[in-house]
Amino acid sequence: MNSLWALIVKEVKELVRDPKILVGVVLMPIIIFPIMGAAIQVSQESVERAIRGASFAVYTDDEGFVTDALLSYLYTNNTVVPIDADSLEDALVAFKATDSSALIYVPNGYHTNITQGLNGVLRIYANLRNLNMAETQSTNVVSSLISVYNYYFSISRIRGLLEQTGSVGTPEAVRNPIVIEYSSILKGNVLDIPPSAIFNLVMGQSIMLPIMVMMMVIFAIQMAATSIALEKEQKTLETLMTLPVSRFTILAGKLSGSVVIALAGSVSYLVGFGFYINSAFSFVPGATTMNIDDVGIGITPLGMVLVGVVIFVTLISALAMALSVAVFADNVRSAQSFTGALVTPIMIPAIVLMFSDIEMLPQSFQWLMLAIPYTHTIIATKAAFLANYAVVIRSILFIGVWTLVVLYVAARIFSTERIITARFTFGDLGKRLRRRQPHSH
Amino acid sequence: MDAIEVRELTKDFGNTRALRGASFTVGEHEIFGLIGPNGAGKTTTLRILSTLISASGGEARVFGFDVTRQPEKVREILSYLPEDAGAYQMLTGEEFLEFMAGFYSRDKAGTERIVEEGRKISGLGERLNDRVNGYSKGMKRRLLIARALMMKPRLAILDEPTSGLDVVQSVHVRNMIREYAKNQGVTVLLSSHNMLEVEYLCGRVALISGGVVMAEGTPEGLKERYGAKNLEDVFMEVARVE
Repeated sequence: MNSLWALIVKEVKELVRDPKILVGVVLMPIIIFPIMGAAIQVSQESVERAIRGASFAVYTDDEGFVTDALLSYLYTNNTVVPIDADSLEDALVAFKATDSSALIYVPNGYHTNITQGLNGVLRIYANLRNLNMAETQSTNVVSSLISVYNYYFSISRIRGLLEQTGSVGTPEAVRNPIVIEYSSILKGNVLDIPPSAIFNLVMGQSIMLPIMVMMMVIFAIQMAATSIALEKEQKTLETLMTLPVSRFTILAGKLSGSVVIALAGSVSYLVGFGFYINSAFSFVPGATTMNIDDVGIGITPLGMVLVGVVIFVTLISALAMALSVAVFADNVRSAQSFTGALVTPIMIPAIVLMFSDIEMLPQSFQWLMLAIPYTHTIIATKAAFLANYAVVIRSILFIGVWTLVVLYVAARIFSTERIITARFTFGDLGKRLRRRQPHSH
Repeated sequence: MDAIEVRELTKDFGNTRALRGASFTVGEHEIFGLIGPNGAGKTTTLRILSTLISASGGEARVFGFDVTRQPEKVREILSYLPEDAGAYQMLTGEEFLEFMAGFYSRDKAGTERIVEEGRKISGLGERLNDRVNGYSKGMKRRLLIARALMMKPRLAILDEPTSGLDVVQSVHVRNMIREYAKNQGVTVLLSSHNMLEVEYLCGRVALISGGVVMAEGTPEGLKERYGAKNLEDVFMEVARVE
């Protein structure tokens, strides 16, 4: 235990004092994400300011009290640039000279049509000078203004008609005779919440967790590979292997040291990402009003424990794999290129399952995905949220068996001379291929 | 009991035979030198004795423990310094010594005693508080020599102990090796290309070439046998015969 602790402390010191690792893995996420968030926030705020500041222009070719009512609505609380012109053509020329991005044109006949029970037509001209977000937004603002007016106008007209005919009912009911209300049955409970809202919530949460797990696994793989390659590069491996400590303890020390740094990296990532989400999406109103616990699908303590087990076995197998592979590298750089190959099977399930469930995939692709142990990590973490514990345990067993296999391989490599003599470079591969070539000709 | 017994040791790396039946013995408290040209099998022999690699055939024992069957026992009493060994770059010299000492002691006081010994051997003084990545080659080698001797192992295997050191530093290291063999009961097996060093340090020497031991004896005895003025001439003579 003493030796293991000494090995872990040494691993952590070696890794964390390396500026490349300290900056790249631990500090970068906590610095980069808030900067990204702030940048997005600044651009969003400038768009908002642009929309708020954007005045719209109005040109009227019509007269009458219906038109006057519309105009007085538009002029209240908004900055309107009145366009005074003899024709629409002149009005458009004048409009182009203003800063406004939208022009509301009230054509002749608007008042007459409406008073005769027909559609009054308005035309909105959008001036797309720079094709940026603010320009389309200001058109949307104008449309929304008119929609609101349209709604209340129709309600007041319906009320008038109902009074004239002496009919029963409310103007709202006449306008929308059918209203749909949604309820969702989740884990046996009936909730008065639309399924889409719950789905969005679950997706948000159940995607974030697997992504975090995968990020941590990738960090840990890099750490483990770096730590073994550093031993080779610094020529300390031979000394380490002649110390009076079991090879398994050395292996366990390397695994644990890498996990510690990976955890630090992940926490930093999580904190940084939290800042990013908060600052980048702070302008979205009500984005965080519904909580996963409100709908009763928060993860249970049992689910939490199972997720912990999933993360643990996943990490150990990935690390053992990284150590076994990195043994064949001469230096840190080649170890990192080796681990690049390991990261791929971990990234693929994370990316594919981010957007779909395993059942949605074509059958053959499903089998292929299920053969990758790290697919089960994602499936298990998602299932833990939905309390499908049988699925979680099945996945844990699968990854567990894989972990034992990889650990056995790593322990074998560590207990034999292969740890000292194993060497593989891309140059070797080239030589082997060249040696084969004459046979193929 | 002999400190080291090597009998008919062979080692193959793929199709290359690095050792072809090397045999020699080293007595307790002896400083024994293994000399020979590059590629003769010196480092391979030292690595087998240090339990790093396994022999393809023959037998090797360290204080009676078989290096292949009882590697854990061997590691408890041995300390190995590889020729091109390094130290952990991000640790300070002091931390490095502490880390290594921890494996040979059960308590803090014991670790501190070993580290104190290491400080003395290294002679690095205040520089021990600096990180290893700021050390010169000579300082690094002195730290590593200190690491190899500070726990007073029963057997120290030193591959080119003074490689890369200047004259002053080499003399310091040689004196330390002598001191630990003479007064602390450490048996030393070393390899070196420096015949002067071997003659100065070693009580007995084995000349290895082509994976076999060509001659074994005291430096004086070997010089006499080959009618040579110094070990260098013996070396040349043996290499020529081969």
